[in-house]
Amino acid sequence: MLLEATAVVMEFGSFRAVNGASLTVTEGDIVGLIGPNGAGKSTFFNCVAGDLTPTSGTIRFKGHDVTRATPEQHARLGMARSFQVPVTFEDMSVAENVMVGAFLRHGHRNAARRVADEILAFCGLDTLANARAGSLGTPGRKRLEIARALATEPQLLLLDEALAGLTPAEVRLAIDLVRKIQQRGITIVIVEHIMEVILSLTEHAVVFHQGKVIAEGPPRQVVDDPGVIAAYLGGSMKRVRTQIS
Amino acid sequence: MNINRIATIAGLLIIALWPLVVHDVFYQRVGALVLLAAISASAWNLIGGYGGQVSVGHVVYFGAGAYASLIVFTRWGWPPLAGAPIGVAVSLALAALVGTPTFRLRGHYFSMATIAAAELVRILASNWDVTGAAVGLMGPPVPRSVWDFSFTSPVPYHYLFLAVLLLLLWLTWLMQRSKMGFYLAAIRGGDRAARSLGVPVLRYKLYALLLSASFTSLAGTLYAVMVGFVDPESGLGILLSVKMVIIAALGGAGTLFGPLVGAVILVPLEEATNAMFGGGGTGITFIVYGAIILFVARFQPGGMAVIWRALTSRRKNRAA
Ligand SMILES: Nc1ncnc2c1ncn2[C@@H]1O[C@H](COP(=O)(O)OP(=O)(O)OP(=O)(O)O)[C@@H](O)[C@H]1O
Ligand SMILES: [Mg+2]
Repeated sequence: MLLEATAVVMEFGSFRAVNGASLTVTEGDIVGLIGPNGAGKSTFFNCVAGDLTPTSGTIRFKGHDVTRATPEQHARLGMARSFQVPVTFEDMSVAENVMVGAFLRHGHRNAARRVADEILAFCGLDTLANARAGSLGTPGRKRLEIARALATEPQLLLLDEALAGLTPAEVRLAIDLVRKIQQRGITIVIVEHIMEVILSLTEHAVVFHQGKVIAEGPPRQVVDDPGVIAAYLGGSMKRVRTQIS
Repeated sequence: MNINRIATIAGLLIIALWPLVVHDVFYQRVGALVLLAAISASAWNLIGGYGGQVSVGHVVYFGAGAYASLIVFTRWGWPPLAGAPIGVAVSLALAALVGTPTFRLRGHYFSMATIAAAELVRILASNWDVTGAAVGLMGPPVPRSVWDFSFTSPVPYHYLFLAVLLLLLWLTWLMQRSKMGFYLAAIRGGDRAARSLGVPVLRYKLYALLLSASFTSLAGTLYAVMVGFVDPESGLGILLSVKMVIIAALGGAGTLFGPLVGAVILVPLEEATNAMFGGGGTGITFIVYGAIILFVARFQPGGMAVIWRALTSRRKNRAA
């Protein structure tokens, strides 16, 4: 088991954003995390990545208890992530952004640059290598965040809506990229609202609602689950259905 | 050869030859003072510019260097320069002490905490007899040997300061290109993203601060060696901290030559107003500082470095 999050609770004051959620991820998987807005997906991600320390529960990664570990310890252990709202280093070039990630495992500038160049080509960002990160649009930034995370040579990659806000053509490119990442042997957990993405990428989907996991299994089965439909009802289920058909 | 390299070489040549070309002692002295200010502003730049942690309390390290050199002289009769390693050691200890808790603070809170720490040290020094309390300390009244490095001409100081500045700029250049330079830029770009990529944020801020404090302390020693006097105002006054920030910001914080450029602009301006208005010039100093803060904050947060880049790239475009 690569990742084992058990009964994770995250409270903000008296509000429980994550309320006893559990998730296990096996090496090589792509797991999809879905759920309505405010379900607690990003908060759960932040707990898993060490950005937030959960109020209770445990998180084990590669057999280590990382519940209270810092984000940098997570990165060193081999967990990387993207953020829902991209946070690229605006004043640095695209290549330099990726080099920051590469320096985690390569202390020398030339080695870091080599890794960065390889990753940039892999992500289709090589033509933008010298552009200032701040000059990129949303799709470019999301891609850059993925590239930067890959440069840390992770075993587990957490993607928080890395495909949101992209045009359908861009989404297809991004789906290809995620598949290629999996083929590199990297395990992926992906939060995504676009059902098309979940259906085409994942074999295992986990549905969050009000901080809890209310269903999990093969994505096609999960979207027909009455509990899941109820959770989405009035909300975005209509969108979900139209996207499936 | 590109325009940046030509400008750099020309600028460094002018600075290296300055005291040989101008013979007026006033101008020679201004040259040495420019270099001294450039050392402390470049040292500040390591943490304030590259690391993005705007310390307004760097005068404590300057003061540690200045006081250390005159304490070793008054206590043990050593040449003031021999106080340099002690000043650096004290500064490293102070930096670790101040940095560890304050780096957890963000933005303005960090700056305010550094001011508070520096003011505390100034008040302590004003009341401690080892530091000469409010009166301060004097260096050797007449040079006993060359080791006292006490000369009437500013020229030897000019070259001593130039050597230290070049060493500092060389280290900064190496740092900027290394993992540490990238990590500091990442920290400036955003703690959260940096940490997610494995950057140990606190550790690297501390590295930058330690290096920065060492050279700021060295600047303090050099100041005391040249002037032969330090008191709480001239060695630990808040205006000195502010001056480091302003010089670096004016030239371009987080750039290699920004602080030097800032010093080349500000120090002569300051000396000229002082010469013109005599002792009352300090009031003018505040006005000049205020004007520069307004200019940088309102119109050009990147300082002269951005203006330079805009000018040179426009030339390039026209040539193309
Ligand atoms: N730092 C915080 N302080 C207080 N409340 C928070 C904080 N972060 C998130 N929340 C709340 O926790 C709940 C879950 O938020 P979260 O961002 O995890 O949802 P999400 O499932 O990622 O939603 P979305 O699909 O909109 O991204 C929301 O109600 C949000 O307002
Ligand atoms: Mg979210």
